[in-house]
Order: sequence, then C-alpha cells, then structure tokens
Amino acid sequence: MASSYNNPEDFIAWFITGDHLAIVTTDGSDNDTIHQKLGDYKPINEAVTNGVLIHYSGEPNAVTAIGNTPDVDNVMHSSLIDYVKFRLYQDKAGISVDSNASAVAMSMARSHEGKWNEATRKFGMKKRDKTGGPRRIMPADLR
Amino acid sequence: MATTHRLTVKTIISRVRQAFPEAPENYIMNLINEALVELGKYNTKIEYAKLTTVADQQWYTLKEQVDGVTNSNIEVNKVYRVDFMDSSGDYVKIPRLLNNEIQTMDID
Repeated sequence: MASSYNNPEDFIAWFITGDHLAIVTTDGSDNDTIHQKLGDYKPINEAVTNGVLIHYSGEPNAVTAIGNTPDVDNVMHSSLIDYVKFRLYQDKAGISVDSNASAVAMSMARSHEGKWNEATRKFGMKKRDKTGGPRRIMPADLR
Repeated sequence: MATTHRLTVKTIISRVRQAFPEAPENYIMNLINEALVELGKYNTKIEYAKLTTVADQQWYTLKEQVDGVTNSNIEVNKVYRVDFMDSSGDYVKIPRLLNNEIQTMDID
C-alpha cells in the first residue's frame, strides 16, 4: 500500500531500543481517546509497502572460502595480515618452551599489534569519503 | 578496464605463511573474520534497506524484516538515518526521538 502522508516529517519519528526500530506517529483525530489523540506518539497507523528507508552501517561479511575478498575497503587489506600475524606470534609466544624464542615472538606480536592498531585508528578517524568537489553546509531551517 | 588492488584470502594466507608455513587455513580465516568484526566498529560498510510498515505496529526487528525478506540476517551496527515514504512515493527524512519515553507502548 502507498503512503497517505504528504509531509511525513511533521508526524512520524523513529527511535531504537536494542535491535528494534520503533516507527511512531503523532497523527490522530479523536481527542477523546488517548490512543487516537492528535499530537501523542503512537504506533504508525499505516501499512506502507517499503515505506521505510533505513540508512545504517553494517557488519562486514565474513570470509568463508580462500577465493573470497575481505568485505572492507582495500586500504585495510594489508592490515589484515598484521592482525593475523599478531595473533599467530602471540600463540607462538604462549606455547614456546624456549624463553628467548618466546620473548622474540612476543616482541613480534607487539610490533604487528601496533601496526594493526595504528591502521584501524587512522582508518576510523579518516572516515574515507570518496566524494570530490566543493562542499557546502546546508543552513538550519529556523522557521 | 581498470582494476584496483585487492587481496584475496588466498593471498593473505600465502603472505602469512611466509612467517608461519604450518598455520592452518581455517585458523587464518577465523582470525581474518575476527579482524573484520573489529573493523565493523568503524562504519566501513554503509548500507540501505527498505522495510514495510504494518498498521498499528510500533516495533520492527531490524535483523528479520528488512527488504521484505524474513530472517534477512543483516547485521546492523548503527542506524543513522530513517526516511518515510510520502504520498508521492518520495522518501523524506523523519526525525529521531532522543527520549524513547512515549505514552503508548505496543509490544508486537
């Protein structure tokens, strides 16, 4: 079904609790009934096919086969090697009976951990935006 | 056609095996997946999904109901914008309620 809202932004709002999305409306008609009261938030009153468009950041897909390409920006692909080596050197340090070998492995683990942490921190801060060209800020609507 | 440089799991395994020739393939893949979960914290994957509303139903489980697919199993880390379709079929941004304390509550 199609929407009957001409200006949904004036009536409908959303909020999140856990992994549940709430869609509520202030649209109403009958002032005598609390549930119908215009201005009170209550469940969305319309069935609208594909009526809600959600923009979200999602979890990268897991890799399941050796032919897969990791589902993250390719700038992070080589850092995945650092993460894997960091964990493998950590394992090696834990099971090695030779204390010198263990110390060297731990040192290598720390080195790769440092590279991984730096790459993820930089990547997180940059929030890579591949859109070029001039930008402008849309002024607030003070009506 | 230009191609970008990307590493496959196979390439990552071969690079890791330069230092750890005995490392099992499945274990390396598990570690790669651990790293991917950690990278998920940084808004690496921006997605869009559509959801069908039901009259008088307030709550929608993101994991199960988006894109008209039951048990779509998408993993939503953070919803940052929601649009609602207007009567002409355009999606219009709707506001987010910061205080979730509304008067009525529907538990469907």
